[in-house]
Amino acid sequence: MDWFSTITSGGLIQQFIVGLSRSTILFIVSSGLSLVLGVLRIPNVAHGSLYMLGAFLCYSIATTFGSGSTGFWIGLALAPFCVAFISLVAERTLFSRLYDREHLMLLLFTFALMLLCRDAVKMIWGSDYRSLAPPEILQGSISTYGMLLPKYNLFLLSLGPFVAIGLWFLTQKTKIGKIARAAAVDRDMVGAIGINVSWVFASVFVIGCFLAGLGGALVAPTQNINQGMDHTLIMEAFLIVIIGGLGNVWGALLGALIFGLTDSMGILVWPQFSIVFPYAVVVIVLIFRPTGLLKSTW
Amino acid sequence: MKRCLFLLLMMISMGLSVMAPAGVWAADEIKIGIIDTYSGPPSSYALDVLDGFKLAVDRINAGGGVLGKKITFVTRDDKFKVDLGLTAAKELIMRENVNLLVGTINSAVSLAVSDLARKEKIPFIVTYGKSSAITSAKGHRFVFNMNENTEMIGKAAAVGLAKRPFVKYWIAGDDYEYGHAVADGVWNHLKKIKPDVQLMGQSWWKVGEPDFTPYITSILSAKPDAVIVATGGAGCIPFLKAAKNTGFNEKIPIYMHTATELSTLRPLGLDAPEGVIGTSNYYFYYPETPDNKQFVDEFRKAYNRYPSFGCLIGWYTGNFIAKAYEKAGKVDAEKFADALSGLTINTPIGNLTVGQHDNQLMLPMFMGVTKKVPGFDFLIASDIITIPASELVSSPEEIKKAREQK
Repeated sequence: MDWFSTITSGGLIQQFIVGLSRSTILFIVSSGLSLVLGVLRIPNVAHGSLYMLGAFLCYSIATTFGSGSTGFWIGLALAPFCVAFISLVAERTLFSRLYDREHLMLLLFTFALMLLCRDAVKMIWGSDYRSLAPPEILQGSISTYGMLLPKYNLFLLSLGPFVAIGLWFLTQKTKIGKIARAAAVDRDMVGAIGINVSWVFASVFVIGCFLAGLGGALVAPTQNINQGMDHTLIMEAFLIVIIGGLGNVWGALLGALIFGLTDSMGILVWPQFSIVFPYAVVVIVLIFRPTGLLKSTW
Repeated sequence: MKRCLFLLLMMISMGLSVMAPAGVWAADEIKIGIIDTYSGPPSSYALDVLDGFKLAVDRINAGGGVLGKKITFVTRDDKFKVDLGLTAAKELIMRENVNLLVGTINSAVSLAVSDLARKEKIPFIVTYGKSSAITSAKGHRFVFNMNENTEMIGKAAAVGLAKRPFVKYWIAGDDYEYGHAVADGVWNHLKKIKPDVQLMGQSWWKVGEPDFTPYITSILSAKPDAVIVATGGAGCIPFLKAAKNTGFNEKIPIYMHTATELSTLRPLGLDAPEGVIGTSNYYFYYPETPDNKQFVDEFRKAYNRYPSFGCLIGWYTGNFIAKAYEKAGKVDAEKFADALSGLTINTPIGNLTVGQHDNQLMLPMFMGVTKKVPGFDFLIASDIITIPASELVSSPEEIKKAREQK
């Protein structure tokens, strides 16, 4: 391993920061998945499709507004809301009828939805590859202390804490968060004391999907926006939710950090076999804590 | 009751009208079955091939067809999966009675269908599969490859890179057959031409890797002279994006086979990094010959976009088929296969010949460097050098050896 000697402390920090920015995206998307999983008990396989829709919508909105910096910011601001609106329609017309069904049915249903979304994307946007430039001020990278830090990754990194605090506030401090947590424990009881559980569920579902859309819109400038996006991400998001503890948003944060950081550190230490690292960690976690690191709501 | 009868009659007559042409035409047509990936990320390439193919076939049919017969085709989506591709191939042979099979961007599907074609004695023309095994180790009389293969890519890249002063290399790529085959091809040939090159390290990522930044920053820490990137298809775009965002292309020269192809550069627009070295079999702006200009104009008129290499593959595949049937003189699988082997036709990139000993199309390769040029809203290749096909194809001895080894 002669490349081992090339690892400097600067390189290490640089890799750490890049890994954190990847964790941020994973956290944003998987916390939404976890929220839906915890409160609604829906293993939403179509969550990745909403992420893909977020990226495509961000692209379309940005190019409508001239694909410059302003276009991107408008796209980033609007795309998650469009995804949230789509999910609201889906929840009211489809999901709300299925809450009492068993998990296998829900899994099959969301899987079908994923396939439908993929074909819808193909029909609307076609099969060409698409790419969106990051806004001017976030292009290029900053080099300090021999480190090279892409500006867009730093931007992603800075968003992470806001989303985490926002979610904490939502679940711990707001009324809807409290009801949602109660509903997750005992749905019938919450209904019995006169709370309209149906709308609480709808709101939580929409918030979860909003996060998927936000994740998609945020990665749009770093990726090839194409039909395969959903499927790469949903696997990772589920793994994160599982190692974090099903339905636990903080578990998603912890899982995303572990997944993102082992990935980027693995690449630095042993690039030939880096693919293995995050998955090896998942296996280790599940051997020692089969229900995930934090308390599962299931 | 009357209404029911009327409906029944309608349905029968509609059924007849749908069936009629098939029955009447059967003797007067040459039917081609196309299997390719029409969903998911690879469909972008498969649809390019199909558009080019349609253009050629429409013109051939407008001119009276071949041997007095029209060329028709049906398509099947293999969804990039071997089992689906193979099922589709069987269905096309058994039910649709196709005379030829064409297609497949996935090399694994190409190899599976090729095996079936050998058993069924039906010619199979591979359009976008890049495995060199298709025509070398697993080649046979009925399989043809119209695309460049990983061996040719390796040779071309080695010839081009050996002319540059790099010594310490890093290899990075997709952790599947294409990535490893390209990387091995480039590296083995480069080592042969320039024995003092060193391999500093390698990075392999999974297919569909969304963010390449951590890979790039780790390669930057190692400071090689140049990087050989063996990624194909959808991965090229996020890699080049990450390269631009990290300033990678300004610090370390990058070679990536498809970097200068239109399919990669058009989606990136002006957001693509400059100075990336890439090889390609076709640029719509090079060579500047009347033949190429005519093809580009014709294609743009039909589809309102510039043709990529895939479009050219589709176009000359159609023309090769027509020419081979003409030479064979009748619609017969064995005669067609014999006629196509060794056949030469004129194309936008000059005369192209199907290798007589391996049925691999002898394609020249162009090496260029990405550059912003006024007049285009995407980057194009500049400083183009041509590596002739004769330097790239495998010799009859090599093919013989590869086929014996299996």
